[in-house]
Amino acid sequence: MRILLILAAILWAALARAQEDPDPRLIRAADEVALAYVLTGDSRIDETSLAGLRGISRVLTARTTVEPGEPIGIDLDRDDLSLLTFLYWPVSDDQPAPTPQAYLRLNKFLRSGGMILFDTRDGDIAGLGGPDGAAALQRLAAPLDIPPLAPVPDDHVLTRTFYLLRDFPGRYQASEVWAEAPPADAAASEGVPFRNLNDGVSPVLIGGNSWAEAWAMDENGLPMFTVGSGLEGERQREMAYRFGVNLIMYVLTGNYKSDQVHVPALLDRLRQEEVIQ
Amino acid sequence: MNALSFDPLLPWPFVGAVALLALMIAAWSLWRGLRGWPWRGLAGLAAAAALAGPALESGIRNKLPDIVLLLEDRSASQSLPGRAAQTDAAIEEVTRQIDALPDTEIRRVSLGDDADGTLLGTALTRALAAEPASRVAGVIAVTDGLAHDAPMLPAGAPAPVHVLRTGRPDDWDRRLVIEEAPAYGLIGEPVTIRLRIEDQGAVPEEIADRPARLRISVDGDDAQSVDLPPGLSAELQVTPEHAGQNVVSIAFDAPVSAGPELTDRNNAAAIQIQGVHDRLRVLLVSGEPHAGERTWRNLLKSDANVDLIHFTILRPPDKMDAVPVNEMSLIAFPTQELFMQRINDFDLIIFDRYRVRGILMPQYFDNIRRYVEEGGAVLVAAGPEMSSVESLNLSPLGGILPARPTGRVYDRAFLPRLTEEGQRHPVTAGLTGAPSPDGRDAAGDSWGRWLRMSQVVPNPRAQVVMTGANDEPLLVLDRVGEGRVAMLTSDQVWLWGRGFEGGGPQLELLRRIAHWSMKEPELEEEALTADVSDGLTVTLTRRTLDAAAGPLTITLPGGKTEMLPLAQAGPGRFTARWTAPGPGLYRFADDQITRVIALGPASPREFEETVASAEAFAPLVEATHGGVVRLSDGIPRLRTVREGRPAHGQGVGGEWIGITPRDAATVSGMTHRPLLPGWGWLALIAGLGLAGWLAEGRGWPRRAA
Repeated sequence: MRILLILAAILWAALARAQEDPDPRLIRAADEVALAYVLTGDSRIDETSLAGLRGISRVLTARTTVEPGEPIGIDLDRDDLSLLTFLYWPVSDDQPAPTPQAYLRLNKFLRSGGMILFDTRDGDIAGLGGPDGAAALQRLAAPLDIPPLAPVPDDHVLTRTFYLLRDFPGRYQASEVWAEAPPADAAASEGVPFRNLNDGVSPVLIGGNSWAEAWAMDENGLPMFTVGSGLEGERQREMAYRFGVNLIMYVLTGNYKSDQVHVPALLDRLRQEEVIQ
Repeated sequence: MNALSFDPLLPWPFVGAVALLALMIAAWSLWRGLRGWPWRGLAGLAAAAALAGPALESGIRNKLPDIVLLLEDRSASQSLPGRAAQTDAAIEEVTRQIDALPDTEIRRVSLGDDADGTLLGTALTRALAAEPASRVAGVIAVTDGLAHDAPMLPAGAPAPVHVLRTGRPDDWDRRLVIEEAPAYGLIGEPVTIRLRIEDQGAVPEEIADRPARLRISVDGDDAQSVDLPPGLSAELQVTPEHAGQNVVSIAFDAPVSAGPELTDRNNAAAIQIQGVHDRLRVLLVSGEPHAGERTWRNLLKSDANVDLIHFTILRPPDKMDAVPVNEMSLIAFPTQELFMQRINDFDLIIFDRYRVRGILMPQYFDNIRRYVEEGGAVLVAAGPEMSSVESLNLSPLGGILPARPTGRVYDRAFLPRLTEEGQRHPVTAGLTGAPSPDGRDAAGDSWGRWLRMSQVVPNPRAQVVMTGANDEPLLVLDRVGEGRVAMLTSDQVWLWGRGFEGGGPQLELLRRIAHWSMKEPELEEEALTADVSDGLTVTLTRRTLDAAAGPLTITLPGGKTEMLPLAQAGPGRFTARWTAPGPGLYRFADDQITRVIALGPASPREFEETVASAEAFAPLVEATHGGVVRLSDGIPRLRTVREGRPAHGQGVGGEWIGITPRDAATVSGMTHRPLLPGWGWLALIAGLGLAGWLAEGRGWPRRAA
């Protein structure tokens, strides 16, 4: 019986390999830089993720050259991740862990330059000692090849890929955001105010600010969730949008902004060489 | 060999005590006025001596024969006219004379060529170390004295060192000395070679002041002539024109005179200057952030030799938000400076999904076009925007782009394939995992597929090396003026990097495209490479886009030519192995391409200096009282002299050199004989004691006084 099942699985894999075209949704992801989110099985969370990514896609389209298409929900157990660039993963207590095959695909995705934003959506209660998303996050992310993490430092390129940011608020703005730790020997180089991190983008970002809820827009482009209160709340929502823009720019351009500080020096060198000649 | 040794019966202090006691008794006897006191003292001392056990040791000695080291220099410089015969005659005569001496052996050390020249010093040091110093009676070196390891010559030797110098007094030579030549040079920047002509030996008067006519040629081009008088340093400016080896050959003809110079092999030199690029500067212009952008960044930033200036349009001019400028991190790019003033400093400009949206002004594109025509490079990686009204093809740059979009975009999966030309083109040839040309392999056996490309009509003279959907051109390469342009009609090469359907060699492909644009010699379509494997054997590889490659014409250093057929080793690759008859400068050519290589040392070290001179040996010869004898004056006679005496001189029958017999011997046994037997000692002591007793007159009745 088991052998039959394995045979069937192999046959199915072979068929899947020979299939004429990949999933059209994924083709779209590759063509349009469509943002993707993990389907958790909880329809309320999934709808929020969709609305959130749709919201930030609209903000990107309105303000930047990046014009993502309609967001794509990803079934980790089924979908090929190699066409994706960015994956939003809301963490909930009762979501089932993906299969080992899915983790293989996820690890390959992370290795080949993809990025996952884990959102524990508990920025309001985390760290107070009560039940928060930490346990669920640990359960889901443990099998992933994640490098050592550290809170995002003040000079991280994420703070200036498009907007200048100090923190990364979503619907909440309390908790810290974690990214790959800078190498121990990274130091501020002379004349450059920022650390010279390697061009690799941190494969994961982990935070609990429930960004999708802050970004979420309905069909008419109206916000779906309240953020904070009054004008200050709207300011926080704007900051959440700015974080979203910076995040996608970071995913797409890597350390581009970090390197831009070297450009004047490079041009200076060109000028000097001309004088010498 | 005899010696006295002691073998005391009791420890030394006891023996000493006995001797002391004897002396005290003698002193006491003297004080008492006893007449026999000397006898008493002597008896005591004899007892002490008996206790010390004196013995006579003698060895058995065997005489050892003396050794004469005969160093025979058979290096290439000894093959110059006349020297070999001189050497043979000298060796024969010296051997005969040494053989005639009693108890003398010859150790012959023959010295050939080494890659580093003639290593006389090393050979001599080694030969001396191999023999016992006490037996070496002389060292005779038959050589022209041209040691290339003079510092290795020993400072002294246990016996006279004689140099029998070959060569004739009227030997002379004119040679080319390269004082300074760089091994590397930046392409397009002149490098300086310093050289001079040097005359050595007895230069005939009619030659001495006449300048030499130098012929200088770079990579086998037509030679330029310069007259250079001997003894003057001249500086020569040479500009490496291409990457890889630039061979500068410099030579002058042997001066014509009654007595020819020793050799003309040191009249030429081939200097190989490796042409290198300065740091490559790449300007990457991304029209919008997209998933493939980091692929370019990874590629260009991982190359330590590339300075990357990257420029992404993060916000188009037509989009605004209400965010104050000081909360934004956008920097206006110095477009005027980059595209107008500094453009010639760049080796490559990459337009990555660039759409013409009013950021770069039309005159910039005009300038880019001029830049390419003057030798620059542009690479366009186009997304679907190329098929839109914002296409780069509609800018002034469009005139030089290798393909024109039709406006149609294929939005389906396709497998990139190499065209027949692509299999030969170095940019795509040999990419791992390429699908087979007949197109029968299933998806998954080879590269992954891409999902989108634009339809283009390639320029007729452009080369289509890869095709995609519907066999439409995917990668198109072209040359414009002196520059190069490449166009990738899809932006989805990053899918290979992500491993979609197994992925593909995306970094390698992009690296090759970029470096081909920057004219890296390894990626030239028409190339002739020569790998010198060992010494004179060379493997020639002709890379071409044509289906066949004709035979190569080889021009030998003497001017003769030879034909060498090539055999196909792969698509567009033709090879042959060939062994040159001797060192020198060889030119390989077919109807398109010429390559000059220097095989072996053009002027081997042996022939750098050729006029015989024993100067290097002078300190050693002097320190050992030896002599330098010119073989052109005849072969000296051999004498024996005492150590430390002059071992070289002028006799009635001509010059002589001396060796010092060493009288070395070996001890093969030892005897140990006591000086006196036990009873002898007893008799001696007793006799002395008795003598003392008698002297005191105790034996006879006391006479009445």
